[in-house]
Amino acid sequence: MSPRLLSLLLAAPLMLGAQIPQTAPGAQQAAPSGAPSSIARIIVSPVQRVMHAGDTLRLTAEARDASNKVIPGVQFRFSGAGARFEGSVDASGLVTSGSTGTMPVAVVAILPGEQPKVERIEVRMVPGPAARIAITPAPAKLAPGQRIRLTAEVYSKLQDRRADKVTWRSSNSAVVSVSDVGLVRAVAAGKATISASVGNVQQTLAVEVAATPVATLAVTPAVSNARTGDVIRFKAVAKDAAGREIAGLTPVWSFNPGQGLIDAEGAFVGYQPGDYTVTASFGNTTAEAVVSLTPRDVRRPLTVMGRLPRMRFTTEEVWLHPTEKVAYLGSGSGGDVLYVIDITDPAAPFVTDSLVSNTRRVNDVMTTPDGKFLVHTREGASDRKNGVVFASLEDPRHPKVVAEFTEGVAGGVHSSFIFKDPKHGQHVFLTNNGTGALHVVNIDDPSKPREVAQWKTENRPDAGRSLHDIDVQDGLLYGSWWNDGLVILDVGNGMKGGTPSKPVMVSQFKYDLNALYRDVEASGGPGFIRGTHTAWRHKNYVFIADEVFPASGPKGAKDAAAMRAYGQLQVVDVTDIEKPKSVAFYEPEFGGVHNVWVAGDSLYIGAYNGGFRVFDVSGELRGDLRAQGREIGHLNTADMDGVVKNAAMTWGVVVKDGLAYVNDMLNGLWIVRIEPKTTVVP
Amino acid sequence: MIRTALGLLLVTTGLGAQSAPGPAAAPPTRDYVAYVVSEAVDQIAVIRFGPEGAKVERTVPVGISITDPDGPHGVSVAPDGRFYYVSTAHGIPGGDLWKFDARTHEPLAKATLGYFPATAQVSPDGWFAYVVNFNLYGEMETSSVSVVETGEMLEIARIPTCTMPHGSRLDPTGRRHYSVCMMDEELVEIDTREFKVARHFFLTAGKEMGMTGAPPVRVAGGEHAGHDMGGHGLTPPAPGDIGCSPTWAQPSVDGQRVWVACNKSSELVEIDVASWSLVRRLPAGPGVYNLAFTHDGARVVATNKRGQSVSIFDARSGKELARIPTTRRVTHGVAITSDDRYAFVSNEGIGSEMSTVDIIDLATRTRVATVEVGQQAGGIDVRR
Repeated sequence: MSPRLLSLLLAAPLMLGAQIPQTAPGAQQAAPSGAPSSIARIIVSPVQRVMHAGDTLRLTAEARDASNKVIPGVQFRFSGAGARFEGSVDASGLVTSGSTGTMPVAVVAILPGEQPKVERIEVRMVPGPAARIAITPAPAKLAPGQRIRLTAEVYSKLQDRRADKVTWRSSNSAVVSVSDVGLVRAVAAGKATISASVGNVQQTLAVEVAATPVATLAVTPAVSNARTGDVIRFKAVAKDAAGREIAGLTPVWSFNPGQGLIDAEGAFVGYQPGDYTVTASFGNTTAEAVVSLTPRDVRRPLTVMGRLPRMRFTTEEVWLHPTEKVAYLGSGSGGDVLYVIDITDPAAPFVTDSLVSNTRRVNDVMTTPDGKFLVHTREGASDRKNGVVFASLEDPRHPKVVAEFTEGVAGGVHSSFIFKDPKHGQHVFLTNNGTGALHVVNIDDPSKPREVAQWKTENRPDAGRSLHDIDVQDGLLYGSWWNDGLVILDVGNGMKGGTPSKPVMVSQFKYDLNALYRDVEASGGPGFIRGTHTAWRHKNYVFIADEVFPASGPKGAKDAAAMRAYGQLQVVDVTDIEKPKSVAFYEPEFGGVHNVWVAGDSLYIGAYNGGFRVFDVSGELRGDLRAQGREIGHLNTADMDGVVKNAAMTWGVVVKDGLAYVNDMLNGLWIVRIEPKTTVVP
Repeated sequence: MIRTALGLLLVTTGLGAQSAPGPAAAPPTRDYVAYVVSEAVDQIAVIRFGPEGAKVERTVPVGISITDPDGPHGVSVAPDGRFYYVSTAHGIPGGDLWKFDARTHEPLAKATLGYFPATAQVSPDGWFAYVVNFNLYGEMETSSVSVVETGEMLEIARIPTCTMPHGSRLDPTGRRHYSVCMMDEELVEIDTREFKVARHFFLTAGKEMGMTGAPPVRVAGGEHAGHDMGGHGLTPPAPGDIGCSPTWAQPSVDGQRVWVACNKSSELVEIDVASWSLVRRLPAGPGVYNLAFTHDGARVVATNKRGQSVSIFDARSGKELARIPTTRRVTHGVAITSDDRYAFVSNEGIGSEMSTVDIIDLATRTRVATVEVGQQAGGIDVRR
């Protein structure tokens, strides 16, 4: 946390809502003194400023005086005034579109000795021509009389979604009819092709209508007793009059009453205890299954076993030694200290030593798997050689610095992750604060670190590239690449031929952050902070958490009222790791999601203002984790002993031996035990 | 930072035993206001110095990110004093130039620039700001100077110059802009009418040479890729190293000369603008870093980054008239009041040390006041 957070919380009169968005059109401030401009207006050509995403457009300008005469000798400079992630304009007026959107462009007319004159225009960047149509769902076989709604999504060559109205046709309406909004009806046995078209672009779907009508339909399991949050996978079994199963049919699924969801594959999850009826239908033929859900009943009491408040600086990352009862705790907001804490008695943690470095932030710390060394990051070094520091843990309670690594990462390292495998050795993976690149450093001998690779997201402008956090498991790296979402790299797993010295892209899960957090922009204005912040692989899921802060707090608000975090955690199914798919989520009612830790069937979250939270992530995950009662416990990590009184800013957690070591930026270290479930006696 | 955040305005005329007001120093008869930015704590300190002493009048947070440092580095006050501009080095990944209302201290607008925007200066007419994109990140490659139209905060040019451009100063007419290349041993002159590099000058001792046009472009992965930058002016040169490693270019008040601080060799280099040739090399303090001329053109004040001091030079003779200790290590920036009475000097300190601003009486050549400010204080300017 920058000290501005403290300023926001502590020094209300100083709180400016300091973050401001880009200059709003027409927001010119009072002009400096000097000769006024003789330019009355600037005319920009072309008048129709619409271009396809991925294309270029040349803008030109001329200046006219009050008599509408062209003024000679004017120098025009074009400048992008927003949408810098979507495109660019050079000073000569060449607009290059990287994606769809609206690019505000400012034209500055300069005459020597006169105040510059500014004209603002907008260039609309629209999707290119239709190139592809995707039909969902894509049933291959329908039962006679079945009705099902198809959706057609139209994309450009650059995969930008278009809003075209699709023309639906059936090759044989006597077999399958389709309405102009995609509602399909299986009329009679046979084969037909459904087509969705826009201009010359067409997508077809071959559909067979079964010769045999569905005589009986059953949904299995017919009766289910489960808990909220449990995923029940239903199957619809259709049979003909002879009792033979008709294979390959795709039913339409629905349920009522209550809250939950069911997907096209029949996976159901309910959020509230009670009775649900799940229905599969093939036209007029329907069948039901009944579900009774009991409360998930995972709530457990928490006990604060120990506290170690930190007052001098804000508190940053916590890490535990793998074999000794020692914790390491970073500092920020001008902090140059890594605290070494004896946690032999969790009720009485105490500082045994500290490692002071030339830094103003120790944001991240981690030990090697054998516990012989640690690495910590640096930001704000006075000699501007940031990078990372390696220390020997020969005595874990008294680390000794053995090396630094700054080459190429002098601008600062925010996060680091150590991974060792027998084939490739031991490496630390670093984030480059400046370039948004991944740096891979071999530390087989931590006293002699050497870089073996760099990697960064490509096919995008440099602007907006930022790597925030790294997780490596089984030779696969899960990078939280902010605007670029979750990026999975092979760094030694071998599935794509990757090694630490040659990372290879496996897949990317990118999502629309602006759409996801449009309410944050609505309340705090544009230019807000949002990005994929952290990732953690567990079983077939990757838990990713976003960091989101509004551009400004409510007007007139001060202290804790002036600032809050937002953010959502998503559960990404990587069963098919080349096609990551978001299947579940958690969003706190108040606060955000920062760092996560998963152990066993529990997900531990530092939720910024939302405190420390623990969730049950047992079984299959679908939908809204909070709504379905998966929260095990919550602790507001705020007391009067912190650097800010009674305000939580929970950073993260490390879990070991049944204890959660929770670090709070404003309050220091908390050691928390999740107690066994209590029995409620009516 | 916590102290300032708590509203405890530090009113100091010294720091304990370090306080050493010169006996001959008369107190100021009017108020002076200076702005200093603290890179590690995202903070602008507004310092008032007058008959009542020196104090941090207020602090102003700057930046976008709540949880990560934005790194304010450079500050420049508009000639009419109505606005001040602050560069923030860290971004995603480009940094920004912010415009603040000097009366309310409200941020008004910002423009996104290149990698690690650092020193900034507003043109004499107030219409443009010139900011060097220092680019501390990654491999050594040619970076740039950004030109920002200050009315609506629009970056109208990003002029390629050299590797790690440092310092940003305009001549009195605003027609020429000067910066230096910390890794290329060069001084670069920009024609501000054309927004192009007009000339450059090679600074290494014995190899001085003025040339027209821009320096050669350096690309990542080239000969000097990954070149160590000498601890950003904190590391003394190795034996036999005659490099300059320039960190500042300061045009004289008549615009006829440019003085360059050779941080590595601890020298000052004076260059004649008309002939674009070397005038002289002068010995300077250890790790000479930033420079400022008095407005009468008679004195040059230089910060000594490795020497924890400031030096005052006679501009005509080149003689070092005084070397005054400062109150913290890593002495950084200097700005001189319009009446030439005082120099405000920022001292970064190291690690969690609070930074300081020392106020030097230029007549008595003594330190007359000191205030503590947030860590890693760098850019500094005074309101005229």
